[in-house]
Amino acid sequence: MSTHDAKAMRPPGAIDPPMPLAHHFDTAGQQAGSAKFGMWVFLATEVLMFSGLFLAYFIVRMLYPEMVLSSHELLDKTMGGINTVVLLTSSYTMAMGVRAAQLGDKKGLVRNLVLTIAFACVFLVVKYFEYTGKFSHGIFPGKYFNYAEAGAYAMEHGGHVLQGKPHIFFGLYFVMTGLHGVHVVVGIGVLVWVLMRAKKGQFGPRYYAPVENVGLYWHIVDLVWIFLFPLLYLVR
Amino acid sequence: MSNADDKDDLIFLNGQALQPEDVHEVYEHVSPQILYVKILGALFVLTGLTYAVSYLNLGPASLPVAMLVALAKASLVATFFMHLKGDEKYHTFVFVSSLLFVGIFFTFTMFDLNSRDRLSQEQGTFFQRQNDPSAGMPDRQPGLSPFVEGTAPALTPWQVEAGATPGDAAPASTEAPAADAAAEGAKPAAAKPAAAKPGAAPKGPAKPAGH
Repeated sequence: MSTHDAKAMRPPGAIDPPMPLAHHFDTAGQQAGSAKFGMWVFLATEVLMFSGLFLAYFIVRMLYPEMVLSSHELLDKTMGGINTVVLLTSSYTMAMGVRAAQLGDKKGLVRNLVLTIAFACVFLVVKYFEYTGKFSHGIFPGKYFNYAEAGAYAMEHGGHVLQGKPHIFFGLYFVMTGLHGVHVVVGIGVLVWVLMRAKKGQFGPRYYAPVENVGLYWHIVDLVWIFLFPLLYLVR
Repeated sequence: MSNADDKDDLIFLNGQALQPEDVHEVYEHVSPQILYVKILGALFVLTGLTYAVSYLNLGPASLPVAMLVALAKASLVATFFMHLKGDEKYHTFVFVSSLLFVGIFFTFTMFDLNSRDRLSQEQGTFFQRQNDPSAGMPDRQPGLSPFVEGTAPALTPWQVEAGATPGDAAPASTEAPAADAAAEGAKPAAAKPAAAKPGAAPKGPAKPAGH
């Protein structure tokens, strides 16, 4: 149990809406803790789901090193880097939003949620340009991969020969970043929901479990990208 | 709510009796803003480090190094942004146990992959990879794999365009249906000498075009 230091940190005009305590809980802390525990179990399943794709990547990398190396040169490191910075910053604003909710700072919470949603949209826009850039050079997932166009593009782009079966690498690339992108879209959805509730002044020091849990989800999306970025874009 | 009004019924949380007014409080540590700013700064620095390391050409060490940096970043996010520090230890336990199972998943799959070549060789089993000889097999544990000996890596469409011949890669190969189909649509733009590529992965000895 922590101290009451949070009370001293509350800004002037902080709101503290009452929290409905369900009858099967003894305390508000217990109720909030249960919600958070459930969220952590869900995050564990998320980790396990993505681990299958990461394992597929490692296997393909182990079996076909040249194919992975020559294919990954076609990915845009700059765009990937920008998206990394965008997602890390959005994680920061999300954490600041949870902090604002803990302090009853409604304005701060709304501001940080709007910023987080904006960064998420920037991420998707960059991703859109990356995907369309790949499509325009015949780089499609799986059987739609156009060897001729992609090979010509590799020659012009980096002056190297595409080795092996690049469609396998790009299949992994599109599935991994695509599943991650779906998570970003879902994240925007739940963030908008929390934002609408925050605007009504429903969250305060005694009740911010939805903000906290959406924040946890958003951070796991960030965590997955932290591993995706070096593996797909950077590692040689 | 039921017990809270009755002062005779004490409510315990983490071994400590709560005052009635404490029942509706959520006790969580609120971190100062400067901590979050510092963490974000550290994350940016580590991202720059990953980026820089990727240009160093560390060779086989590049993957472990990149993974270590990513692990450091992930730990920062999990510890501070996700409040694992100062939170109930049980949440850390749930999260770390998921990572433990990921570790088991990875380790056993790798065991299987690493022992499969030898088993296949003993049993004379062939599987799909035989039809995909151009995809990096020659570099992988020569002598262990039954697919290397006597199997010719086929040329990719771009090697064909570049004037290479099947003999460049290895003795002879007839198994390259995908490559043949794709080569029909190949553009002449790709027809640059492949031998001039310094970064290209290992190939067979270069021979003059036209054979």
